[in-house]
Amino acid sequence: MIFPQSEHNKQAQPQIENYLSTLRSHLRGVSEPYAQEFLAELRSHIYDKISDGETSPASVDEVLTALGSPKELAREFSASVVLDAANESKSSLRMLLLLFRWASLSVAGLFVFLGAIAGYFVGGVLLLCAAMKPLHPHAVGLWAFHDATGDLNLSFRLGSADPPAGAHELLGWWIVPLGVLAALVLILSTSRLAQWCVRKFRASTLAGTLGGLQTKMGRFS
Amino acid sequence: MGRGASEQSIGDKWEVQLRKGCLELAILAALWSGRLYGLEILRRLEDDSNLVVSEGTVYPLLSRLKALGLVNSEWVESEGGHPRKYYSLTKSGKQRVLEMAGIWARFSSSIGKLLDPLSRGSL
Repeated sequence: MIFPQSEHNKQAQPQIENYLSTLRSHLRGVSEPYAQEFLAELRSHIYDKISDGETSPASVDEVLTALGSPKELAREFSASVVLDAANESKSSLRMLLLLFRWASLSVAGLFVFLGAIAGYFVGGVLLLCAAMKPLHPHAVGLWAFHDATGDLNLSFRLGSADPPAGAHELLGWWIVPLGVLAALVLILSTSRLAQWCVRKFRASTLAGTLGGLQTKMGRFS
Repeated sequence: MGRGASEQSIGDKWEVQLRKGCLELAILAALWSGRLYGLEILRRLEDDSNLVVSEGTVYPLLSRLKALGLVNSEWVESEGGHPRKYYSLTKSGKQRVLEMAGIWARFSSSIGKLLDPLSRGSL
């Protein structure tokens, strides 16, 4: 990308590139082409302002101050890119990765990330049970037994230890289809719920104020 | 004295929130009559409405509007020798800005009615 090389611009260049590289280092979860395009757009903005022929050219300091703190700008851009990608993501692994990045950007993101971890983890364990049952039929299953006080206990087992004495298995081979079904439902609904949170959060940051005021005003008029 | 200062800051915060909330509408409306690049949009906003708090915030917002499919963008070489990123409204962007303009008109007329007694009282 070629920029006009006046004497004025040459002097300004290190300062501008310094600003842009600080900003680049704070971009999280933004793919390289997106980052490059964002930087190119800001570079274009900066050079336009310092070499503006109509008004007196602004000093580089003024231009960069008006643009705002590079760290803050990078956070804002990262959050918008990450949230947009999470909203469209179909794969659970990619979703989790994007939520992890959102978690590093905001507290709301952290809570949604932890919730999603829990949902995917339990879903994963259920899938593992279904896969292990044919290999170790006596180690995997849902057992019911009466303990010393006579209370009924349910024991969900995944391992090599023997089931408690006197216990009987509840599901048998049904654990395979039921486990797979429950896992799929859990994983899909975790993704849906996370996407719902992302949309809610996005709506509240993007011009939510006007919509909110509008509904409140409806009650007055 | 202290009370006056805190009232002042409440007023400022309210104004900042109000401006932020209107920024999406203002950007989409600025693009109504044709494509513009970021700095042109900013100048439009500064001249007509004084909406922008920090200039940089307009760029993440534009990228979000693009992700939402409300605007398109294209790089165009300028006579100055460097390319500029131009934005234009998509079909759904045009629809959205018309909807928002309708909401805005209803909203500001109902606020106007509420504020009527204030201006009469001061006369």
